[in-house]
Amino acid sequence: MLLIPAIDLKDGKCVRLKQGRMEDDTVFSDDPVAVASHWVERGARRLHLVDLNGAFAGEPVNGDIVKAIAKAHPDLPIQIGGGIRSPEIIQAYLDAGVQWVIIGTKAVNEPPFVKEMCQQFPGHIIVGLDAKDGKVATDGWANVTDVDVIDLAKQFENDGVSAIVYTDISRDGMLQGVNVDATVRLAQSMSIPVIASGGITNLDDVRHLCAVADQGISGAITGRAIYENTLDFGEGQALSDELTSA
Amino acid sequence: MSEVVAVIDYGMGNLHSAGKALEKVASGQQIVITGDPAQVRAADRVVFPGVGAIRDCIAVLRETGLDQAILDVIAAGKPVLGICVGMQALMARSEENNGVECLGVFDGQVTFFGELQSDTGGRLKVPHMGWNQVQQGMAHPMWAGIADNTRFYFVHSYCVTGLADEEVAGRCEYGLSFAAAATRKNVFAVQFHPEKSADAGLTLLENFLRWRP
Repeated sequence: MLLIPAIDLKDGKCVRLKQGRMEDDTVFSDDPVAVASHWVERGARRLHLVDLNGAFAGEPVNGDIVKAIAKAHPDLPIQIGGGIRSPEIIQAYLDAGVQWVIIGTKAVNEPPFVKEMCQQFPGHIIVGLDAKDGKVATDGWANVTDVDVIDLAKQFENDGVSAIVYTDISRDGMLQGVNVDATVRLAQSMSIPVIASGGITNLDDVRHLCAVADQGISGAITGRAIYENTLDFGEGQALSDELTSA
Repeated sequence: MSEVVAVIDYGMGNLHSAGKALEKVASGQQIVITGDPAQVRAADRVVFPGVGAIRDCIAVLRETGLDQAILDVIAAGKPVLGICVGMQALMARSEENNGVECLGVFDGQVTFFGELQSDTGGRLKVPHMGWNQVQQGMAHPMWAGIADNTRFYFVHSYCVTGLADEEVAGRCEYGLSFAAAATRKNVFAVQFHPEKSADAGLTLLENFLRWRP
C-alpha cells in the first residue's frame, strides 16, 4: 500500500486547511517543489496535489507549480485534484506531466461529465468522494445526503474511473484516526482500487489500513500528520512495504 | 424588528453556505444557524435541512429536543421549509434501516429507489443524481416566478411516495413518479437541493422568505 503525501497548494504555497475551511489555513512552506522533493527523498512513490485556489475558483490557479513539480520528478506518478471541471483543464494537467486528475465536486454536481472524461482520457480519471458515516456529502448546505457512498462509487466504476479517493469528512485534517470499516466496505464492493484519505495520524493507522489493504485499498493519502510529525513518512512507507506487497 | 429565520444545525455539517445563500435572497431578515430548540421556537420561520441516514437524523433530533421544537413551530403556523432528508424526516415512516418512525407531519412513506422497477421493467439506477424536471402539482406562492417543469438538482437514494394528491406540490419522474415537493398549510418541503439549483433554487428560497401562509 502506498502512502501518498498530500501537497495542498494555495497562492503558490504549501498549506493545510482545517476541515476544508479556506480561511483556516496553516502555511507549511513557500516552496512546494522543495516539499515534493523532500517527500520523494523520504520514499514517496506517488504524490497527491490539491489546487485549493482551483477548487474554489473552478479553474487552475497553481498550474505553473504543478508543472514544476512534475518536471522535477518526471518518473513520479502524480495525481491532482481541485477545480477539475473541463476537458481543457484535464488536458493541460496531463500535458504538464500529471498522470491522474481527481474529479470531485463536478462528479456529484454533473455525473455525466465523469463518463465523458473517462472516454476522452481513459486511465487518467479518478473520482473523489466525500462521505460522513458512509453517506455522500456534497458542498451544498443540506450537505450530507441519504445516498450510500457505495452505490455512487459503483456508478463511477461503471463509467470507467481508475480509482476512488474516499474521504471521511468527519476526520479529514482532524487527526482522529482512519474510518477503516467504511473504507474497507467500499473497497470490497468494487473491483477498482480505493485510496483512503483523511484521518491518518500515526503508525497505528498505517498498520490498521495495511491489515485490510488486500481488500482493495491501494493507497492512503496523508497530509497534516506528516507535516506535524505525528507520523514519520519514511517509517510509515517502510512499515507499509513490510506489511503489504504493493 | 427584523424577522428571524432559523436554519437548523445538527452540529455535524458545514452550514456556511446556508447562511450565504439565504442572505443573498434575504430582504432584511436575520439568518441564524442554530441547534438550540429555544432559538428555533423563537424564530419567525425555519429552514430544516436533513443530514445523512434518516435513522441518525431522527435520533439527533430526538436527543436534542429539536423534533418537538420543529413540531411546535409547525403548530404555531410559522413557515417551515424542509430540504432533502429534512423533507423525508417530516413523513410518517421511512423504510431505511428496516423501518424508522419519522416526525409524521405528512402521511407519506420514504421508499428506497433501488427496490423499485422502472417503467421498462429494469432496476432503477441508484442514486438519482443530477438535474431533473419538477412538474408543479398546484399553483403555490413557493412556485412564484418558477416555470412549470423547471429543472432542479437532486441527489438522493430514497424518495417520498404515498402522499395525498393535495399535498403533492411537485412531482418528478425517475423511473417512477415521486413527490419532489410536498406541502400542507404552513409547511413546504422539497426533495431537491435549492441551494445547488442555480437561479430557480434561489427564487424558491426567496419565495420562502416572503411566504405568508
